Amino acid sequence: MNVLQQLLNGVFLGSVYALFAVGYTLVFGVLDVLNLAHSAVFTAAAVFAFGLIAYHQVPIWAAAPLAIVVAGLLGVVIELATLRPLRRRGAPGIAPLISTIGLALALVALIEQSRSHGLLRFVWREGANSVRFPPGTVPDRTWHLGSIALPEDKVAILVVSLALTAMLWFVVQRTQAGRAMRAVAENPTAARLLGIDVDRVVLLTVVASSALAGLAGVLYGAAIGDISPYIGRDQVELRGLAVIVLGGVGSITGSILAGYLLGVIELLALLTLGTNVRAAVAFAALFLMLVVRPQGLLGRRVRDRV
Amino acid sequence: MSKLELRLAGVVAVLALVGASCGSSGSSSSASGKTLDLGAVLSLTGGGGVYGPQQKQAVELAQQTINDGGGVNGAKVRVTVVDDASDKSQAAQQTQTLINQQRVTALLGPTLSNSAVAAHPIAANAKTPMLAVSTTGFNIVGPGCTYCNGWIFRDSLGEADAIPTDIKAYVDAHHPKTGALLYPNDDKFSADGAQVVKSTVGKYGIQLVQSIEFTKAETDLTPYITKAVQAKPDVIFVTSLGGIPAKIMSGARQLGFAGDFLGGNGFNSAAVSKQAAAAGKGAQSASAWFLGNDFPSNGDFVKAFKAKFGTDPDQFAAQAYTGMLILADAAKRAKLSYTNIPADRQKLRTALESTDMQTPLGPFRFTKDHDVLQTIWVIAMDGTGGFTLVTSVKPS
Repeated sequence: MNVLQQLLNGVFLGSVYALFAVGYTLVFGVLDVLNLAHSAVFTAAAVFAFGLIAYHQVPIWAAAPLAIVVAGLLGVVIELATLRPLRRRGAPGIAPLISTIGLALALVALIEQSRSHGLLRFVWREGANSVRFPPGTVPDRTWHLGSIALPEDKVAILVVSLALTAMLWFVVQRTQAGRAMRAVAENPTAARLLGIDVDRVVLLTVVASSALAGLAGVLYGAAIGDISPYIGRDQVELRGLAVIVLGGVGSITGSILAGYLLGVIELLALLTLGTNVRAAVAFAALFLMLVVRPQGLLGRRVRDRV
Repeated sequence: MSKLELRLAGVVAVLALVGASCGSSGSSSSASGKTLDLGAVLSLTGGGGVYGPQQKQAVELAQQTINDGGGVNGAKVRVTVVDDASDKSQAAQQTQTLINQQRVTALLGPTLSNSAVAAHPIAANAKTPMLAVSTTGFNIVGPGCTYCNGWIFRDSLGEADAIPTDIKAYVDAHHPKTGALLYPNDDKFSADGAQVVKSTVGKYGIQLVQSIEFTKAETDLTPYITKAVQAKPDVIFVTSLGGIPAKIMSGARQLGFAGDFLGGNGFNSAAVSKQAAAAGKGAQSASAWFLGNDFPSNGDFVKAFKAKFGTDPDQFAAQAYTGMLILADAAKRAKLSYTNIPADRQKLRTALESTDMQTPLGPFRFTKDHDVLQTIWVIAMDGTGGFTLVTSVKPS
């Protein structure tokens, strides 16, 4: 039972990794660009939800959707400020990487500097501190299944994560918008000739991806009980990269599987090898995958992405 | 004029000259118009950001209180507060800058033990007194400090004194048989505290059934908490700081742990008690300070702090405030020149050694090793963001 409870912990955490990485992989699949501001959006949404809940007594069921909307709007900023201008100029692949890092640093710095007199005091007065949602924000009941404890908040993350990723899969595979995304991923020039508004599709993709990062951020804040300017950078950014490589870059299903897998592998490593190797596991797995199966678990040729 | 009159006139003239010279030497001992420059290296951001901002407020309040009360023999006190971002290399660099460029006579800080081991050697090398106001790890002062050379002082209760006092008080009342320990192994303060727990529990008949290490960068502590709770201990020891204690308390309660939490100085902040809320009720620690103490040196401080900042101070604020009072008191006795800074630093160090005063922490003196000698207040979280006093232990 000991191991089962720990495996569940891995699955709960993995569901956040999966949700975060799906957004990462979505943008990469369509644009061939790694959006390194993704983790800052994750942070910003968690911070925004915290502010609404802690300073303005907004209940979480209202704060979470608002935070996701803000994350989506940040997606608009990412596309319009850091991706589209470079794409139009035909800048080399490294350029959007740098511009999104820049945006991420600026966002994190803005949050980090915000105290009770700062620009963002409406939503964040904690500076660089790590805080939790006020007690009672998220359900703290625990269901017991034999000797297994199922905390309600963690079960909620799992359910939301599964539902959202299923919905995303449906949108990409079965809807007109999804078909447009896949067409742009396949060949932007051909898509444009077919009458697809490529810029609009890209914008939609970045916004959807950012909204997912936002949701992941809020869920992480709720279930892990840790909100600070650094949660995106320290907790999910590099793990998210590991997950998308493990899953196969650009593969949504692969990212989901790899997210859960990484959560569970980390936990198993912790139980068998001791605590300090936990962070290294993601990168060991990443390295192994690159050596053994560079295309990842479910990776296919580049043109089959998304 | 007769000879007698001449002699009398001579005596009067000599007396007048002596009087004048006395008068001029009297006025030269007043330092009005001069400034005593001090520095404070605090963690306003980063992991120690839970404690640093209150310390900064306390330092500013102390500066105002001292100056409003006539300063140091007339000299104004001016403190430069810098942020080390909870990073040891930044702490070292900031200390260096304050000593060499600001030409401070003495320093307070840093906030964290982890940073102190980088900043204190620089102060000691530059022969500048540095008063540790919240660093409670091992060998911050005393014979185990290889670099101190008599220049480092501490007004914060070390974990080596606090944790055993807390455990003894808890055992006397509750008689626990087993315990589990959780701590980040990459933080000096936490690892030192864990070491104290390990070497103390046996003395009181507590078996440590789990000792679980993690790293301070980890935010998801659930697996570690699960491991601790599954060992079914009577008490859980948490020797870490920042957001970690509250996170462990909430997580353990969620998994059904019904025992108490025992810890060190990392518990002693209203911010931590507030974060832990109901999950932390009864979490017991030994503290250098208690908010509810109403002796005048504390009552006045609490009132002034609340009036200026609108919130109650915490232990870290009280220790920082006390640190400023101690430096000002020593400076008053040290006959500083305010021009020869190296000599002033030396004089201030000597004066610090004979400190004996009332402070918000209670009656305060330094040991011969420059460590704190004060009453220890055993307190417990009240479940609503505050603390209650369990018992107090006088210095032995």
